[in-house]
Amino acid sequence: MRILRSVRHKSCADGSRMKEFLLSEPVTEDFFLFLGNFGRVECMANVGAGFYKFEKTDCFSIKGLAGDTTVEVRFRREVMDITVDFLYALFHFYWDGKPDIDTLKRREAGVDKRVKECLYGK
Amino acid sequence: MEETNPSAMIYLNNAATSWPKPPEVPAAISESLARPIFGSGRTAGSQGEDYVALAREALARFFGAGPEENWIFTHNATDSLNILIPGFLAGIEGPCHVITTALDHNSVLRPLHELEKQGCISLTIVPFENAIVSPDAVLNAIRPDTRLMVMSHGSNVLGSVQDIQAIGKILHRHGIYFIVDGAQTAGHIPVDLGNFPVDAYVFTGHKALFGVPGTGGFYIRDPERVASVRSGGTGTDSFSLLQPQEMPEKFEIGTHNYPGLAALAAGIAFVNSAGTDAIAEKGERQTSYIIQELRNEPNIVIYNETPHLPIVAFNIRGMENDDVGFILARAYGVISRTGLHCAPLVHQALNGGKGCVRLSLSWFTTDEECRITVNAIREVAHNADSSLSQA
Repeated sequence: MRILRSVRHKSCADGSRMKEFLLSEPVTEDFFLFLGNFGRVECMANVGAGFYKFEKTDCFSIKGLAGDTTVEVRFRREVMDITVDFLYALFHFYWDGKPDIDTLKRREAGVDKRVKECLYGK
Repeated sequence: MEETNPSAMIYLNNAATSWPKPPEVPAAISESLARPIFGSGRTAGSQGEDYVALAREALARFFGAGPEENWIFTHNATDSLNILIPGFLAGIEGPCHVITTALDHNSVLRPLHELEKQGCISLTIVPFENAIVSPDAVLNAIRPDTRLMVMSHGSNVLGSVQDIQAIGKILHRHGIYFIVDGAQTAGHIPVDLGNFPVDAYVFTGHKALFGVPGTGGFYIRDPERVASVRSGGTGTDSFSLLQPQEMPEKFEIGTHNYPGLAALAAGIAFVNSAGTDAIAEKGERQTSYIIQELRNEPNIVIYNETPHLPIVAFNIRGMENDDVGFILARAYGVISRTGLHCAPLVHQALNGGKGCVRLSLSWFTTDEECRITVNAIREVAHNADSSLSQA
């Protein structure tokens, strides 16, 4: 799954930065289950083809409907510079077909460490 | 980006910007662009329509208040408030006290808070109860040094219309200047400025007057009370290097938005032909229907069950309002507006500032669209079951 375009940027009331990503193919339940390796996924399976919401605490959230080619992403603004590459990596690795969870987990640990330092000074 | 098919979309964000527009509006824009611009004093010749004069005339007739030159064009309601508030205070010696309300939009709150921060004013924010600001609460907020009150006529979140008659009379008894923000009421309900005890009334073109974004303005009863805070070319009195004090040049600078004013005049003509009484009646009926259908749903909280304007503010328990708006738009094609609606104090009072989902209807909203929307909200609420399940 590739991100074709990032559109509609805006600042949200909670201070987060929202973007909509147009994807090369519709999102699936499987994609959100994959994201579940890196955070919390919630779903409302009976709404449309299924509403999914992934949240990586202190970093970003992704929400979308299965079958839709657009997802909404919200970045925690203070650490967006640190987390944005990892978010893109999640899409890229999944698109690659064989998401290497171990490699992504190692990258995630590095990101988490820098986010904690930035937000909490530890 | 995946495009939403407009014909399949149910657009319920009219309190932000109305859509669709009556066909006369885009037609008027096209016509205005097809001819050379003609503006009295600015362009020689008479080959085109004077859209500025046309729109001014339409406003004066529609709101029952003249003279026409006391209708001033700006970019929008916020722009108007940013002219009127500092313009009025420029004539006041020393800091003074100003009153506004917790129902107000950031278009009012931010200019006033900036002035408070600069030490120019002290500010009292009158709270609301059951979506209404009581005239007695306004009376109690008045101090010997109160010089100005600025407030919304209609709430953009709760859809309540305030008792401007009663509040205006109280303020005028105390010699307090009264600016009313009519962004949400102009075009939705009959507004007879000839009988309104207000000193200035602010409007925007792109909501219920069916104009386009970038048009708005204000009516000022006595132009002498407000100083001009902007200066520049007017096409008149050009040897003078100071801003002319004649109306409307005192407040209007630079080239007008001719296509926008052509659209505004056409929009007002449309509202006139439909009739504000009929518009208000239809909005009330459809809004009542939506509220009646949703009010008994255990998962749904409605914040004002008796709005005067076609606005329904609600939340679904256990769900974030942004998620509800996202699902309504993506799964059902229902376009709402979520978050704080630029009215943070309203939301602070309603639910601690979490925000809500707002549906706002227009003359073009159909009964069928209301029915589909109710069913969509019900379906989401039933599936919410107080919390999202973990995948």
